[in-house]
Amino acid sequence: MTRRIAIKVNGSWYEGDVEPRLLLSDFIRDVAGLTGTHVGCEHGVCGACTVQLDGAPVRSCLLLSVQADGREVTTVEGLQNAGGALHVLQQAFRETHALQCGFCSPGFLMSLEPLLRADGPAELTDAAIREALSGNLCRCTGYQNIVAAVQLALARRRGAA
Amino acid sequence: MTKQATPTLAASLVGMSVLRVDDIPLLTGAGAYVGDVNRPGQVWARIVRSEIAHGRLLRVDVEAARRSAGVVGVFSGSDTPDVRIPLRLEWAATEATRAALQPPLARDRVRYVGEPVAVIVATSQYAAEDAAELVVVEIEELPPLVETRAAAENAHTVLHQTVGGNIVNRLVFGYGDAEAATRSAAVVIRERMDIHRHTGVPLETRGLVAEYEPESGRLTVWGPTKVKHFNRSALSGLLDIDEGRIRYVETDVGGGFGVRGEFYPEDFVIPWLAIRLERPVKWIEDRHEHFVATNHSREQSHDIELAVAEDGRFLALRDRNWIDLGAYVRTHGLTLPVSTALHMSGPYAWQALEIDSSAVMTNKTPSGTYRGPGIVEATFVRERLIDRAAAELGLDPAELRRRNMVPVEALPQRIELGHGVVRFLDSGDFPDAWDTFLEQAGYDDLCAERDAARVRGEHVGVGLAAYVEHGAVGPYEQARIVPEPGGHFAVSVGVSGVGQGVRTVLAQVAAQELGVPLEDVTVSHHDTDTIPGGFGAFASRGTVFGGSAIMLAARDLHKRAAAAAASQLGVPADEVTIEGARASAKGRSVPLLELGCAGEGRFEKATTEASFGASLALVALDPGTGKIDVRRFIVAYDVGRAVNPELVIGQLVGAAAQGIAGALMEELPFDETGQPLCTSFVDYLMPTAADLPYIDALILEYPALGNPLGARGAGEGGIDGTGGSIANAVADALGAAGVEVRALPLRPEDVKRLIRLAAGE
Ligand code: FES
Ligand code: FES
Repeated sequence: MTRRIAIKVNGSWYEGDVEPRLLLSDFIRDVAGLTGTHVGCEHGVCGACTVQLDGAPVRSCLLLSVQADGREVTTVEGLQNAGGALHVLQQAFRETHALQCGFCSPGFLMSLEPLLRADGPAELTDAAIREALSGNLCRCTGYQNIVAAVQLALARRRGAA
Repeated sequence: MTKQATPTLAASLVGMSVLRVDDIPLLTGAGAYVGDVNRPGQVWARIVRSEIAHGRLLRVDVEAARRSAGVVGVFSGSDTPDVRIPLRLEWAATEATRAALQPPLARDRVRYVGEPVAVIVATSQYAAEDAAELVVVEIEELPPLVETRAAAENAHTVLHQTVGGNIVNRLVFGYGDAEAATRSAAVVIRERMDIHRHTGVPLETRGLVAEYEPESGRLTVWGPTKVKHFNRSALSGLLDIDEGRIRYVETDVGGGFGVRGEFYPEDFVIPWLAIRLERPVKWIEDRHEHFVATNHSREQSHDIELAVAEDGRFLALRDRNWIDLGAYVRTHGLTLPVSTALHMSGPYAWQALEIDSSAVMTNKTPSGTYRGPGIVEATFVRERLIDRAAAELGLDPAELRRRNMVPVEALPQRIELGHGVVRFLDSGDFPDAWDTFLEQAGYDDLCAERDAARVRGEHVGVGLAAYVEHGAVGPYEQARIVPEPGGHFAVSVGVSGVGQGVRTVLAQVAAQELGVPLEDVTVSHHDTDTIPGGFGAFASRGTVFGGSAIMLAARDLHKRAAAAAASQLGVPADEVTIEGARASAKGRSVPLLELGCAGEGRFEKATTEASFGASLALVALDPGTGKIDVRRFIVAYDVGRAVNPELVIGQLVGAAAQGIAGALMEELPFDETGQPLCTSFVDYLMPTAADLPYIDALILEYPALGNPLGARGAGEGGIDGTGGSIANAVADALGAAGVEVRALPLRPEDVKRLIRLAAGE
């Protein structure tokens, strides 16, 4: 028993005949072929699979793809600006060494991106950033360079505003 | 530390914190991890695992599974060849050790929950999981052995009959007359100390894709890293296929930490299926499997004794220990007992040392090496006792340590510990490094801060640990450098990437040595087809061995190019100068590319590089909740020469973070029937950003003499002193009740109990 669904991922529609139990993470990876969304636990704890559903961060391993039928998903592949320049957060991650293996990075980026939107906070304390990060696991960095990346990105956005 | 953009001037590349060469694909979703590898016509494997810790395997009924939708094949132990997963590290291994090696799929017994008993192959991951539910495994239960010391003594229940007991080797290491030295001591501290089971837990689980081409007889395996050349030769032996027909391709890796990339049962099963079915087979471990299937580590129990003279001089260290290896001996064999013994001395001079170590089998997931293997454990037990001795002697713990450090005049020093294990200290300056650390960490100020907090009634403590890590293990590494069009150089080398940025560091070394900009060098280490041999990523060896081999290859290339250019330009070789990608003499020049030469380098070294390390923790205990707040954590580590300081700091901080969580949160407990109690991220407490302090890392650089780069390892040093310094800080915070701190982890419930003790309840 399958069901035909269509999900708009990073601006393009992807259609598939899917089993109702197919996870959104598997739709993104296998049907849409976008492998930047990683799966670290499949039980909703690690945050590696974080994508945005209609603009809000969600764990794609906790959603069924049928729940996203007709809706809009943004993955890490959709984060770069038109023209391919790195998003301010991606650039900051790179400059502050906020990644080692990089397996967690797409999830962090998609969780944190709302902080960098026009309506995001102007400033955050390190402690507040640590709270904001605490839904995503990173095993390599000890997190402090990720905190530094968010601070750098916030500072750049303030400078640009 | 200031950050620099990618430089184009080559002269100062080594020592510069350039940005990593691999980051952009990883940040944009274009990385290719093993889960991202898909082959045309591929099928999915799912392993069926034992749910019983110990028993006779009576029957594996796969009939219903075979009829399940999408199933291509189902296999159990009796379908697979009768082979064992071999040892990679042979040290101190005996026949008994080898008798406890693991079959890829269980044959007549199961010995831990999670042991593979069958494998399903189906057209999708979902179909394979459905079918796995239908496999019926009949097991006649045997008594499970869970507790390490009890298992060592149990003569009735034996895990591996041919071993004859549950100890796969008992090893005695040491030198001098420890008993006599102890008799002359003013202070002798004896204690039982225990370290709990926990492990690396990379964020990406393991995975493999294998493809066999029947026409050519070629087998390609994607996914395993760390030691791909060893894995290739192991697989070649087990499958009886010529090594030249097997290709291992390293993918991007979501963290290694010692546990990923060893040759596991699945590393045989998946390629074997690909040949048997003549279809590409993909297997991705799920997180529950990871917690029962991938190596555990750290579980040890010690009866340790420290003998100290009146003036604080260390006389003898005696230790009897039991190292829990779980249900089977895996690829690293007896590395855990060997490494524990090797690292027991720390940076100190001892009159005598005596270590009696038993490697014990229990009905739990097999244990292997996890970042800082044996070092974290040895440092914890020794450093805790040193603080106890300092208290008895009324000495400052920093001063007691300093008095006993091997002085610079005593280097180089080489002490045989037995079983081929050598404590080799080549260079460095431990007392100087210790003083530098204490000063930069602000030890005196932090002690004052502690004292002030105590006046306010807070439970605050400062804890220290000092250690030496014998890293950068050989035997050798080789590199090849080939000039390419456009002034580029292709560098290939046999180390492995495990997400630590080794490609950037090696590119820096190559570019510096070749005298070209970083962007003109491409380092590859991913493919056994292009790199004939190599030893991979373990024991913090990538920069030391890979970097040194590359330096030698660059020099070799320059020598050959000078000779070739000399004959082409008609001048003596010593008149040829090489600048970047061109050789020139007498106003004429020729591109290296046209000279048709390549550089080869092989760096060999039998001894390890010893690195000094130290850490300090300042903790505050919450008497209400028992929570330990790590307010400061500072680690210093001698890397000889930091090729990329920011990446070194990243390694030290990341390792320290793992160690802090390992001391306070992470644990892999089992119940008395051998059932694992933590098999998901819900039960296994991984640290989040909110759980960890800001960690300060100090790079020490006492150049190593044993390699041209002058480097020592960097990958593990941040973790080694975590358990020791945190336990000492907690003990310090508890005052007199601190003597009760004799085991890790220190969870809130442990702290609450200790605080009640301290209050005299
Ligand atoms: S994979 Fe979704 S939270 Fe871990
Ligand atoms: S960089 Fe490896 S898990 Fe975060």
